[in-house]
Amino acid sequence: MDKLITGIKNLDYILGGGIPAYSLNIISGSPGSGKTIFVQNIIFNSARNGLKSLYLTTISESQFKMVRHLQGFEFFSDDLLGDKVIYGDLGAVLRKQGTNKGLEYLTQMIKKHLPNIIVIDSVKVIRDLFPDEKTFRIFIFDLAAALSIWEVTAFLVGEYEEQELTRLSEFAVADGIFHLYGQEEKRFQKRYIRILKMRGTSFEQGEHLFQITPMGIEVYPRMKPEGNELQYEVTPGRKGFGIPGLDEMLCGGLPEGSITLISGGTGTGKTLLALKFLLEGAEKGEKGIFLSFEEPAAQLQSTARHLGWEIDKYLAQGRLDIKFISPVELDVDKHAFEILDMLREKKVKRLAIDSISSFESSVSDIQKYKDYLWAIAQQLKRRHISAVFTTLNEDPFSSLILSKAKISLITDNIIILRYVEDDSNIKRVLGILKVRGSYHDKALREYEITQNGINVLGKLDKANMLR
Amino acid sequence: MSEIIKKQIERYETLLREMWAASAKYLGMHSANLLMERVVWEVSLEYQEIELLQYDQNGISCARIAASLEKNPDLPVEDMFMKFITRYVAILAKLLGHERTEEIKKRLKKEFTKLPLTSREE
Repeated sequence: MDKLITGIKNLDYILGGGIPAYSLNIISGSPGSGKTIFVQNIIFNSARNGLKSLYLTTISESQFKMVRHLQGFEFFSDDLLGDKVIYGDLGAVLRKQGTNKGLEYLTQMIKKHLPNIIVIDSVKVIRDLFPDEKTFRIFIFDLAAALSIWEVTAFLVGEYEEQELTRLSEFAVADGIFHLYGQEEKRFQKRYIRILKMRGTSFEQGEHLFQITPMGIEVYPRMKPEGNELQYEVTPGRKGFGIPGLDEMLCGGLPEGSITLISGGTGTGKTLLALKFLLEGAEKGEKGIFLSFEEPAAQLQSTARHLGWEIDKYLAQGRLDIKFISPVELDVDKHAFEILDMLREKKVKRLAIDSISSFESSVSDIQKYKDYLWAIAQQLKRRHISAVFTTLNEDPFSSLILSKAKISLITDNIIILRYVEDDSNIKRVLGILKVRGSYHDKALREYEITQNGINVLGKLDKANMLR
Repeated sequence: MSEIIKKQIERYETLLREMWAASAKYLGMHSANLLMERVVWEVSLEYQEIELLQYDQNGISCARIAASLEKNPDLPVEDMFMKFITRYVAILAKLLGHERTEEIKKRLKKEFTKLPLTSREE
């Protein structure tokens, strides 16, 4: 089936390649939800592919104002106006000549311009011009039939609320329904798009985040665990930290392609341990990405230098990449997708996320957060990427609180870092709770962070240190 | 009007009826008529006489075209119908997919050796 490629970032992916050609689509949403920009973005992108669009306005938004607002977007181009993007006023015809002249005008415009795409903005306004539901229904059925015969892909834009989508007649004739809406979520005003219906193609269901940027619309597909059973090859290799005592406890290192949770209180060295894991990989020629949601790259570099680690060398060689996303800016809907994109693009062998607690705190829906992590975990395992996630234990003297979302279920290995009291001293101890499918040292060992790095010391032999 | 032309018109009328009936099966009668309307308009830009083609829910008639030929026997009726049919089938193929129009094409290929099928994008 022929498809109209929208050219909107990630939208064609969600639609399985694009919108089926000659389909009739409704773009619904409340005022300000981004409907007009959404459809304008599609027609200007299509114009660059040689397709002609006829944009018929009604009284909802004047053409003059619309064009003025569009000028700020990169997709807009004056050169395309009048040639590939043609505006017409359907509303004036309907108001002055009566509703029965609407289809006649439409057919005349089609014959004159032979467009590939027709937009009617807004069909809801047209609905209000009809005296009753019955006459409007006849109009909409005739409109749908006429548009299909002229080989045009149509977009009917309308200010519909979600509850209207199931009962109004225009939705019965539509091949596709895109519903745009926004909601306040923690720190951000979020915009979402849902495809409620799309005949003739499979599509990604559920709500997808979108943003209106100077480039136009950008969609971030919903992250979801894959439905099919995760099958992946278990490889026998080990991935060490380059910390002799710890690697010894792990019988050589973490199993290759596994996910490790490093849980610990503030200041226990979770970030350093995760960073050291990547530096050890870089030393062995393995590409690593450190996703920091807490410390900027410069701060991490400075700390690593103080510990005598050759971080600058590996960054310069491209074996290590640090991506810092401020926790204030962290938008999991967007960034979780970008993380997966980055893993697909680069041949990463090791990954660190510091910390998933920041991830967790930026999501209002805990189920969504679990889905994100599960989806990321699936991708990591499929690609045999060895990953460490750090998580903050809010009680530094308590050992076993891992995370609110029971994230330990998706991890293969768990390392805990905690404080203990020894007389009047606070000491750090490290323990390995589990290593999937492998023997490991079960002892709690003291460790220290010095100018020479992290040293794992002897076994903790005083049980009274543990509270 | 010569007997040959009369036979020719009858042949086209039969073909058009078959084509219309086959497409109405998929498009519905209303849309099949809309498609006729579109193709009549397109072909009329070259041959205005095609507007004399009658079509409604009862079927298709070329009687008025035949009558017009009495006055204008030089009308290249074969080319006019050929263009009409090829446009109709080409649009139909785009709307329904080529598989659905294979039967119509096979039938037409029996009648015409050269049948260029094109649509607006092709």
